[in-house]
Amino acid sequence: MKAAERRASILAVAKILFADCGYHGVSVDQIAQRLGVSPAVLYQHFASKEALYEAVLNEIACRRESYVEAALAGDDDFAGVLLRMTRVYVDSVVEDPDYLKIEMQALLEDARLAQQFFDARWKSFTDFIEVSMREQTTGINFSQVNPRIASLMFQGMLREALYAKCIYQAEQYRDLSAQDLVEQLIRLFLNAIEYRQ
Amino acid sequence: MNTFDNTIDMDLDTRGLNCPLPILRAKKSMNELAHGQVIRITATDPGSVKDFESFCKQTGNELLHSTETNGEFVFLIRKPDA
Repeated sequence: MKAAERRASILAVAKILFADCGYHGVSVDQIAQRLGVSPAVLYQHFASKEALYEAVLNEIACRRESYVEAALAGDDDFAGVLLRMTRVYVDSVVEDPDYLKIEMQALLEDARLAQQFFDARWKSFTDFIEVSMREQTTGINFSQVNPRIASLMFQGMLREALYAKCIYQAEQYRDLSAQDLVEQLIRLFLNAIEYRQ
Repeated sequence: MNTFDNTIDMDLDTRGLNCPLPILRAKKSMNELAHGQVIRITATDPGSVKDFESFCKQTGNELLHSTETNGEFVFLIRKPDA
């Protein structure tokens, strides 16, 4: 296996284990065992468990979705763009729910990384909501709702829905797909901010 | 400044904003440009390089030039002839 491939496979396995057990719940020996290599192989690529954990976090924190398609695929109305970009995000999380677990851990452990997660994964939503509301984008007539509070509400709502569907697989939402759940929440959100097109 | 200064017909500042707002603003601005005119877009989102490449591919506009200096990205995009 080439060095770059080996490094990528170490990161992939470490991500799964750190997501399930947290930083303190995983040893280098366990990661090596899962990979079928000796711990020495891991140390050829990462100086320590801490360095490996940081590499996993950095890789995930810097990953971002592209919303170009969401912006171009239909009308520019606020609700339409918000729904399309949320679908992109939900698909990405459903495909890789470990991201959410790692993000949760990063929020608890490291403010700098928490900011990176926000910049790469959430700022697209908060920017879009806040700026659209402030500028009263064409076709929108918002009430006196504070845009910053509205964007926080959206972020919390979406995050909690994804926790329920992708992490603890809540019984009461089992009959709804993640996309259906999120679409219903977006309708509630639009009502809450008194969105009228 | 760069050699394209004489050909710039519109400036769009999207600094501080993450996708999709820069793309939505670019789309709106391109509609206001005449065919053959050039827009200069400034951005700070690290993903904007890929985003504007993808934007031009999908909309048929021409990405003339793309640079990055100290975390600031500048794109020159030309609206194609009719």
